[in-house]
Amino acid sequence: MPLSRTARALAACAALGLLTACGSEESPSGSAAEYPTEEIRLLVPYGAGGPTDLAARAFGASLEEQLGQTVVVENLPGGSGALATQELLAADPDGHTLSLATAGTLVVTPLANEVGYTKDDVTPIGVLTEVPSVLAVGADSPYATVEDLVAAAEEQPGTLNVGTPGASTPQAIELQRLADEYDVEVTAVPFNGNAEMTTALLGGNVDAVLINASSDVTTNIDAGQFQPLAVSSAERLSWLPDTPTLAESGFPELTLSGSTFGLIGPGDLPEEIVTELEDALRTAAEDPAVVEQVGEEYVPAEFQGAAEFQELLDRTQEVYEPILGG
Amino acid sequence: MSTWSGIGQGFSVALDPTNLLYVFLGVLIGTVIGVLPGLGPTATIALLLPITYSVEPVTAVILLAGIYYGSMYGGTITSVLLRLPGEAASVVTTFDGYQMAKQGRAGPALGIAAVGSFIGGIVSVVGLVLLAPPLADLAVSFGPPEFVALTVLGILLVTYLGTGSALKSLSMAALGLLLSTAGLDPITGTARFTFGEVSLFNGLDFVAVAMGLFGVGEILHSLERTEKVQAVTAKIKGIWPTRTDFRDSAGAIGRGSLLGFVIGVLPGGGGVVSSLASYAMEKRRAKDPSRFGKGAIEGVAGPETANNASSTSAFIPLLTLGIPANVVLALIFGALLVQGITPGPQLIEQEPEIFWGVIASMFIGNLMLLALNIPMVGIFVQMLRVRAGILAAFALLVTMAGVFSVNNNVFDMWIVLGFGVIGWLMKKTGFEPGPLVLAFVLGPILERAFRQSMLLSGGSFDIFVTRPLSGGLFALMAVIIIVSAVTSRRRKAVFGRVDPADVDEPAPDADRQVTAEGSPGADSTTDTPPTSTPGER
Repeated sequence: MPLSRTARALAACAALGLLTACGSEESPSGSAAEYPTEEIRLLVPYGAGGPTDLAARAFGASLEEQLGQTVVVENLPGGSGALATQELLAADPDGHTLSLATAGTLVVTPLANEVGYTKDDVTPIGVLTEVPSVLAVGADSPYATVEDLVAAAEEQPGTLNVGTPGASTPQAIELQRLADEYDVEVTAVPFNGNAEMTTALLGGNVDAVLINASSDVTTNIDAGQFQPLAVSSAERLSWLPDTPTLAESGFPELTLSGSTFGLIGPGDLPEEIVTELEDALRTAAEDPAVVEQVGEEYVPAEFQGAAEFQELLDRTQEVYEPILGG
Repeated sequence: MSTWSGIGQGFSVALDPTNLLYVFLGVLIGTVIGVLPGLGPTATIALLLPITYSVEPVTAVILLAGIYYGSMYGGTITSVLLRLPGEAASVVTTFDGYQMAKQGRAGPALGIAAVGSFIGGIVSVVGLVLLAPPLADLAVSFGPPEFVALTVLGILLVTYLGTGSALKSLSMAALGLLLSTAGLDPITGTARFTFGEVSLFNGLDFVAVAMGLFGVGEILHSLERTEKVQAVTAKIKGIWPTRTDFRDSAGAIGRGSLLGFVIGVLPGGGGVVSSLASYAMEKRRAKDPSRFGKGAIEGVAGPETANNASSTSAFIPLLTLGIPANVVLALIFGALLVQGITPGPQLIEQEPEIFWGVIASMFIGNLMLLALNIPMVGIFVQMLRVRAGILAAFALLVTMAGVFSVNNNVFDMWIVLGFGVIGWLMKKTGFEPGPLVLAFVLGPILERAFRQSMLLSGGSFDIFVTRPLSGGLFALMAVIIIVSAVTSRRRKAVFGRVDPADVDEPAPDADRQVTAEGSPGADSTTDTPPTSTPGER
């Protein structure tokens, strides 16, 4: 078994033209070359079975293959992500304990509650997946475009009901910003996740939803049950080429309602380990098997490493602090 | 036409040797964990979830579904023999089932439960085949005001049931609602009653609370009355119910099938609510309601039929809308997602082998369960012959492992132990955990739905009465309250128990129930009086 795993890893390296990266492992230089020396715990701040868990397992399997050590995925849901993050921070910064994280668990949770950490206490490594949000209405909605919806909201502020996946979610904060920064007032109605919002929209109990475009939502879009009016990403999505972004629709600042899932380690994770893990993530993100398992819609076209993930966290903190911190 | 070809395809999937094996494994595991107190379908499915990742999606669902409805059969056994519900949905069965066992009629109680469960299961599967699409349309039109009405109805039902003192049920329901407010506020995200404990952000874990109160509480309580337990286990004979038993329970089984089917479809419904509702219905319909709680066979047949029917029909919203109706279905939903399949409106078209295969496996599974339960109840009971101390220690171990496995959180284990002690003290003092747990489950749904309704209506209470569905449900509740007030007054007159205190306050029970309904939220206090006043005049 170990032989075939090595063989596969070599084949993958060769196929991707990363012979140099593989070769460097053979010339030990410092602690990074010895890493990993034991099994790696990959904490997931969500329950088993969800799309995030799936992404962690797919990437975990690829890391396992590349690094030659078992990767154990541990689900630690609870505390809006704080439980898993606290567990991570209690571990040694040696790269053998890693965690999945989002701007929600690293920025929103510490701003909203006393959890004993901030985003600056962790070391970002890289982005695994990005799940954009979609502003959608039902099939028989009178609103065909964002402009229609905004016009209705401006005519009678607060009468339009827009569902969000929960309190203090990026989507809810984005609707708050829509009111604060653009004077478009809608009533944000928090639901408990996508399933509840879907029923509410299908049942005509809300006028629109700002919802994570996970596979259940794309299924509804394909089925014609949901009409997407706009997407939250900075650029249009390859799988919804005709749907404008919120930015193009007149709200250039509103690009933060999607969810970015990244890998983090405890603070002060040595530079070499970060680089090694970053490379492994890049390789995993290009592995067709991983992409297929996670869903190609959710793997960013261009890999985002430690610097980009850090930048996203910093920007989110900057925007959210005045809204949540006060 | 497509229904028949679908069923044909379903059986070809379900009769595949691998799937057949997994149906059998599912119902067997379900029965066993149903028998073992403390370990319910939720914990078991959570424990087995990792295993299902390696098999075909349809096989995974067949296994998990088998565990779910299998546990509905198994849970009866301990309810009847030990007054120890093997899983939450069998709580009601303890009321009359255990009394029957004490009268030496444990056999017929178990037999009628198995027959009723079988009939309920089959009726529900047929209903699932015929009604899945139209029922999904109905369920989707339920908005926040309807959820408010449904949850208030649920809480009203549980106090109305009032096995013990209504005041005690009411205080337990109130405690359940209070406990359910711990955690992050669902609308603003502010932390409430968390005392700085991060593990409490998501509130007290339902599985942990239920396992503590029902599982550990019962284990502790049962240790105190070991000898009595053994005495009942010893005499089981004549499993097959008599002709009179069948005649007495036929109506209850018929009504339980339909009631369980309907409640199972409703989001938030499920085994517990359906068995409670069926018991309440049977008690209401009975010529002599005082027989209930003293070994009435309808009190076993109805709820057991209803909980099995609901465990099958609960698949309707999941398989047609992708909306899990309860926590067990939520786990099955998770199992499908991991397999890369998103249940939703397109499932029947895109993955017909899953929809029809699971349905066909339910026919087969229910047959297997009937075959397992009627002749083999004695063997399952043997598991209970193990000395109470050993069984209790084992059950406690499995409970703790099970609850840990749900969230991988040590804190939840403390919650189980804490609520175990509370549950034991409640038992000793005559407080029933049922209303507490039900209110605890319904509380967050009620709060969220009520506040969503207020957001949708801009703060006007009219939304609850102007919408036909919620208005109808509130009117129904008003009728229930009035009828129970009138009947309790009449009963008092009949029994001549009118004492001076009662003259001053003619219908204390009715008042209690009005408060019971009003306590969860301001909605019902503002709604119910206007609707009920005209009726009273």
